[in-house]
Amino acid sequence: MASNNFLQNYEKGEVRTACFFLAPLLLIVGIFILLPVLGTFYNSFFLDVSFLPKQFIGLKNYARLLSSPDFWQALRFTLAYTVAAVSLEAVFGVAFALLLNEVFVGRTVLRVVILIPWAIPTIVSARTWQLIYEYTYGLMNFLVMNLGIAPERINWMGTEFGAFWALVFADVWKTTPFVVLILLAGLQAIPEDLYQQAKVDGAGLFRRFYKITLPMLKPVLVIAMIFRTIDSLRMFDLVYVLTGGGPGGSTRTLSYLGFEAFANDSFGLGSTVSVITFLISLAITLIYLRAGKFSEQLK
Amino acid sequence: MTFMVGGAPNELAFFEKILASYTVDTGVPVTLIRQSTDSAQRKQGILLSLRGQQTNPDVMLVDVGWIGQIAASGWLEPLEKYDIDKNVFFQSVIELADTYENKLIGLPLYIDGGLLYYRKDLLAENGFSAPPSTWAELRDMSERIVPRQKAQNPNFWGYVWQGAQYEGLTCNSLEFFTSAGGGFFVGTATPVIDQQANVTALQFMRDLLHKQPISPPNTFTDMKEEEVRLFFHNSNALFERNWPYAWGLHNADDSPIKGQVGMAPLPGFKKGQSASTLGGWHIVMSKYSDMKSESASLIKYLTSARVQKQLSLKLGWNPGRSDIYDDAELLKANPALQNLKQVFKNAVPRPVIPYYSSVSQILQKHINATLADRVPAEQALKQAQIEVLELIKDYGIK
Repeated sequence: MASNNFLQNYEKGEVRTACFFLAPLLLIVGIFILLPVLGTFYNSFFLDVSFLPKQFIGLKNYARLLSSPDFWQALRFTLAYTVAAVSLEAVFGVAFALLLNEVFVGRTVLRVVILIPWAIPTIVSARTWQLIYEYTYGLMNFLVMNLGIAPERINWMGTEFGAFWALVFADVWKTTPFVVLILLAGLQAIPEDLYQQAKVDGAGLFRRFYKITLPMLKPVLVIAMIFRTIDSLRMFDLVYVLTGGGPGGSTRTLSYLGFEAFANDSFGLGSTVSVITFLISLAITLIYLRAGKFSEQLK
Repeated sequence: MTFMVGGAPNELAFFEKILASYTVDTGVPVTLIRQSTDSAQRKQGILLSLRGQQTNPDVMLVDVGWIGQIAASGWLEPLEKYDIDKNVFFQSVIELADTYENKLIGLPLYIDGGLLYYRKDLLAENGFSAPPSTWAELRDMSERIVPRQKAQNPNFWGYVWQGAQYEGLTCNSLEFFTSAGGGFFVGTATPVIDQQANVTALQFMRDLLHKQPISPPNTFTDMKEEEVRLFFHNSNALFERNWPYAWGLHNADDSPIKGQVGMAPLPGFKKGQSASTLGGWHIVMSKYSDMKSESASLIKYLTSARVQKQLSLKLGWNPGRSDIYDDAELLKANPALQNLKQVFKNAVPRPVIPYYSSVSQILQKHINATLADRVPAEQALKQAQIEVLELIKDYGIK
């Protein structure tokens, strides 16, 4: 085992000291993360509503959820949302990172400015977007009416299609800076002489991008995408503010479904939604790690 | 002793003062636990304390929408033994909302009900002497007046009401459905959501948005209480459905429509078949309270005629006590009370059942889908009925 070899590099006393220093952290993680997670798993096997005695019902919550059209609707919506948002963020992220990696006047200012959306709490930016998409006085409809894009105002949240892209748009605006930040660090780690050498060998701009930048950037890009994917899979705040799950329940994400269950005091079912969301995130992370050949990279 | 209550800053300041005067009178100090104004958040805070069997809060306010769930969980102290006079409150409210399994579990601190607000001036200009008493009349008046107004103000609409996917939609639907002779439940375990009267009513609601159209297109996405109130307030609508709180704001000195607003019971599908959803907050005592006799005395204090009058005078809330609606001082401050007393007497509560919030969520989702023109009325209500029946089966309720 790698970890055993790793420990053999240290003396016993050193290991003991390390454990001593790590203990508080592990304790905190154990109490505040591990215990609640295990509790959620445990709860998912119970009918747990306040007005009935708590009872063990095995996998019935899972059966109920998997047979409910609401669940499949939410799963489909969450996955579509994740694919759309994360891929757009990856494309824009790479583009902006490349731009900000170049030397030009005002670069420092731009690097700071581009981080602003990321620094605003989502719930706040969601409220801003709510005003932008607002039917009567919102900026979007102001543009639509004044630029003559459509004869009537558009009710952006009125269709599943409109609400979906409105949410994706708000998410891309907010989290692309995060991807940019990570990628920029990755870009700066690529040695300049690789490019010099490629230039000498006669490689053009695009060839250098595909042969050097992209492969060297891949591990960082995969990390950024893992973060973004896990985040998107449990997206809640934008939906909560912008659509409230509507129209007709068509924009509910998995997290929103879990919230609805909790809001109804249905803790067993809510926990089941959380467990399933966790399992999906885990599966997708594993796929990413496999695709990014991470185990090799780490060696 | 602790009292848990939420609300706007002026409301909380009012409670601080009342509690301080209670302490002066009785020598019992009371701590106020502040909550937000949001009903759903207040519910979660209260559920957490009660679930955890905390001795605090002793006394709290609960919404009529979830009092059934809290009562069914066995968390509320029955109040009969504390020598409380039930007869001074609205009889129907005590029976329908504050009684659970034949036990008195709460008292109405204040009451709300859905109302129709209308533009007196615009109706008069167009030759209408009275507000609409049927939905057909409301439609006809809108079709006559709105096009003329639209010529000056393209944002002008006929009727604004709460159609977004949230609890307010359930309240509005209950009014439409009941005013067509329908409703959600018969008794406590028999849903009758897909009955024909409800389908007719929902079809009418949908047509308000998509056929005539009389209500703004964003009714089913944006319209909650405040959005609706502001819409009407800014002189953009002929009719408005809202709770009594809007009255004072529409008639405030800085209101663009001051003095031009009338208040009436909501229309019905037939004359006289009007319905108003009962709202408001109820004062209850926790079963886990360790100061029960003191808590009872606080409840009596807060529902005393003196404090109830102050609630009306200082906050504009409508008292849960029916015996003070004819009080000269109150009527002078708020002449609308006369009408409100009648409305509240006939108000319909949402089903007082423990799993009400789940039922409401199912209704909101399907009714909103019809308003969004995604699913026909009949199909939406059929599906809602099926899901509610499944829920009842899951919970093993007979």
